[in-house]
Amino acid sequence: MSTVMRSDSPSIDVKQDAASEPLLSVRDLKLYFPTRDQGATVKAIDGVSFDVFAGETFGIIGESGSGKTTLGRALVSLLKPTAGTIRHAGTDLTTLSAAQLRQERRHYQIVFQDPSAALNPRQTILDSVCEPLEIQGGLSRAEREQRALEALSRVGIAPEYARRYPHMLSGGQKQRVNIARVLTLRPRLIVCDEVVAALDVSIRGDVLNLFAELQRDFGLTYVFITHDLSVVAHVSDRVAVTYLGRFVELGPTQEVSERPMHPYTEALMSAEPIPLPASMRTHKRIVLEGEIPSPIDPPSGCRFRTRCPHVQAMCAQEEPAWRELRPSHWVACHFASAEGPPGSTTAITALSN
Amino acid sequence: MTALPRVGEWRYSPRIPIGQDIGGDVLLDIRGLSVSFLTAGGSIAVTRDVSFSIAPGERLGVVGESGCGKTVTGLSLLGLLPARTSRVTGEILFEGRDLNRMTPDQMRAIRGREIGMIFQEPMTALDPVFTIGEQIGEAYRKHFPASRTQARERAIEALAQVGIPLPARRHDEYPHQLSGGMRQRVMIAMALVCEPKLLIADEPTTALDVTVQAQITDLLLDLSQRQGTALMFITHDLGVVAEVCTRMLTMYAGEVVEDAPIEEALLHPRHPYTSGLLRSLPRLAQRKTQLPSIPGRVPLPSAMPAGCRFRERCPHSQAGCEAEQSLRGFDDGRRVRCVRVEELNLPGAAA
Repeated sequence: MSTVMRSDSPSIDVKQDAASEPLLSVRDLKLYFPTRDQGATVKAIDGVSFDVFAGETFGIIGESGSGKTTLGRALVSLLKPTAGTIRHAGTDLTTLSAAQLRQERRHYQIVFQDPSAALNPRQTILDSVCEPLEIQGGLSRAEREQRALEALSRVGIAPEYARRYPHMLSGGQKQRVNIARVLTLRPRLIVCDEVVAALDVSIRGDVLNLFAELQRDFGLTYVFITHDLSVVAHVSDRVAVTYLGRFVELGPTQEVSERPMHPYTEALMSAEPIPLPASMRTHKRIVLEGEIPSPIDPPSGCRFRTRCPHVQAMCAQEEPAWRELRPSHWVACHFASAEGPPGSTTAITALSN
Repeated sequence: MTALPRVGEWRYSPRIPIGQDIGGDVLLDIRGLSVSFLTAGGSIAVTRDVSFSIAPGERLGVVGESGCGKTVTGLSLLGLLPARTSRVTGEILFEGRDLNRMTPDQMRAIRGREIGMIFQEPMTALDPVFTIGEQIGEAYRKHFPASRTQARERAIEALAQVGIPLPARRHDEYPHQLSGGMRQRVMIAMALVCEPKLLIADEPTTALDVTVQAQITDLLLDLSQRQGTALMFITHDLGVVAEVCTRMLTMYAGEVVEDAPIEEALLHPRHPYTSGLLRSLPRLAQRKTQLPSIPGRVPLPSAMPAGCRFRERCPHSQAGCEAEQSLRGFDDGRRVRCVRVEELNLPGAAA
C-alpha cells in the first residue's frame, strides 16, 4: 500500500524513532534568485523536504542546474531560504541573532569542490587551518596551532607541510587540508559539495576512505552532494535525486541505484559509463534526449516530462505527488509503481488511488 | 566472449616491431615521439619515446592521470605546440608522410581536413562573435572550393548529422545561445565537416553531465562506425573508453606503459598502473568498502626517477625495477612496459 501526500507537505522520514530528532530537518525549502535582466526569477530550489539523521550519510545527486549546490549552501546558512525552513537539531538558524548564529553554525561545515580556490594562496597551511578557530575565539595562539596540527595529522598531512603554501601541495593534499580545517571546529555535520570531482581517479579513493574513517571516529554526519553516481552510491546510506529544483526520488542508496522507481533515476543510473567490455554489460542504456530545461521557466506539471520516455498528457497538467511506494522509498512520478518506473507493470498506477 | 590468454600462455616476442599493427593497414604510425618544453631553467622532457599506431576506423582510448602526457601527445600530432618553447622529435607518420617534417603550410592542409580535433571545453574553442554556421562553413571553405551558399548548405548538413534539431535555424545562432551539450555537438560537426580520416578528441565529455555525456559518446561511436573515421580518444574516464574504444593505450609519466585491445586491457591488465586505475574506481556493487587507490602522485617532468617511472607507487616493485624498462611487444599483439609482466597476474575491472 502506498502513502500519498501532496508534494509540498513535509515528508515523514525513515527512522521514525520518537527519541531521535533529525540533526537536519528541511521543510518545503525554496531558494529563488532574481535575474539581472527582465525581472525573471530563477527557482534554484523549489519545494524540497527531507531529514538527515545523526551519523548517516545523505547523498544528493543531480546534474548541473539541478540546484544541488544551492541547496548545500543553504544547509550551512550561506544562503537564506526564500520560503520554508531548515532546522538544525530543532533550531531554525534564521531566528538567531548574529552572535548566536556564529556560535551555532560552527557545528555545520562545508567542504567545496575546488581545493585550490578554497585556500588563500598567501596564507600558510597552518594559518588557513587555524583561521576558523580564530574566528570562533576563546583559544590562545598556541592552543589553536596545537589543535590545527592535530587535525592535519588526522587527515594524513605531515607537520612539515604546515608552514608551506597551498601551491606546494597536490590537489589531494589540498583537499585534506580543507577537511582538516573544518575538523578543527569539531562539527556535527559536514556538507561535502563535489569534494572529489577535481581530483584524479587514483586518489579519489584515498579521500573517500578518509571521509569514511572520520565518520567512524567522530560520529560525523555528512550531506554528500555530487554528480558522480559511483561516488554517491559508494558513500551514502540514503540518496535523493534532484531534477530542476525538486527531488524526484529519495530512498536507501542500494534500492535507488539498483531498483529505481523514477524514470529519470533509471536513465541516470544507466548512463553511467561502466569500465567493463560490452560483452559483460548487463543493463540496457537509456539515453535521454535533450538537456535540463531552464529553472527560470520550468515545464508545467512534472518537470521531467520534456525528456521523459514515458510522458503522457496528464504529466503536463498535474504535478506528481510525493509518494512512499516502498518502505522509506519516495518518488514523484504519476506512473511509477512499487515495481519500478512506468512500464514496469500495468497493474498499479497513481490513478488507481 | 572469446577465451582470453592466461598468464603463461603468451610469450615475449622481440621480433614484433613496435608500433606495427599486425596484419592491417596503418593510418597513423607514431615512432619514438618525444616532446620537451624549453624553459628558463633548461629543457624539460615531457613525453619520452611514445610509439603507437592507429588503423583506419580504429578507436584508440588514451588514458592516464593528469600530467601523464596525454594532451601533449595529442597536440604534438597536429603541430599545435608552440614552436618557440617546445621541441618535438620522432616520426609522426600519417599515411606514410611524416607530419613532424612538414612545413606550416603543408600542415595546415592536413589539419582540419585529414585530421580533426575536438577539445574539452567547447565554449573556449568557439569564437563568440561568429555564428556557429559561419564557423563550420569557414572550416569547410578552408579545404574545399565552395561558394558561401554551398558552405552554408554543407554546414547545415553537418549540424543535422550531429543531431542538432532545426539545423537551418541553429546555423545562424551564436555559441552563447546553445547549451553545453549542443556546443560540443557543434564542435564535432566542425571537426567532421571535411570528413577527416582521424579525429582526435581530448576529454570531449568531461565538462558535460552524465546524461549528455551518454548522448555525445553515442554520437561519436555512431559517426565513427558509419563513416569509418578513426578516433584517438583522450580521457581519464575508463568507463567512457570501455564504451567507445576498441583499444586502450595507458600512459604514465610521459611514457606508454601498456597497449592492448579494450576487452583484454579491462579484464586482464598487464601493467600494475592500468590495474591500479581500474581498481580505484568506486563501483555501485561495493558499497561502503575500503576503496583501493594508488598512493603518491605522478612524478614531475623535472624530477623523473630513473628506471621504471611507476616504481615508487607500485605495489609490485622489487629489485630490477630501477633498471630502464623497455616497452616490450608480445606475440598476442599487446605491449607492456614492466619487467615483471610474465610473473604478475593483475586484477582488472571485473575482479
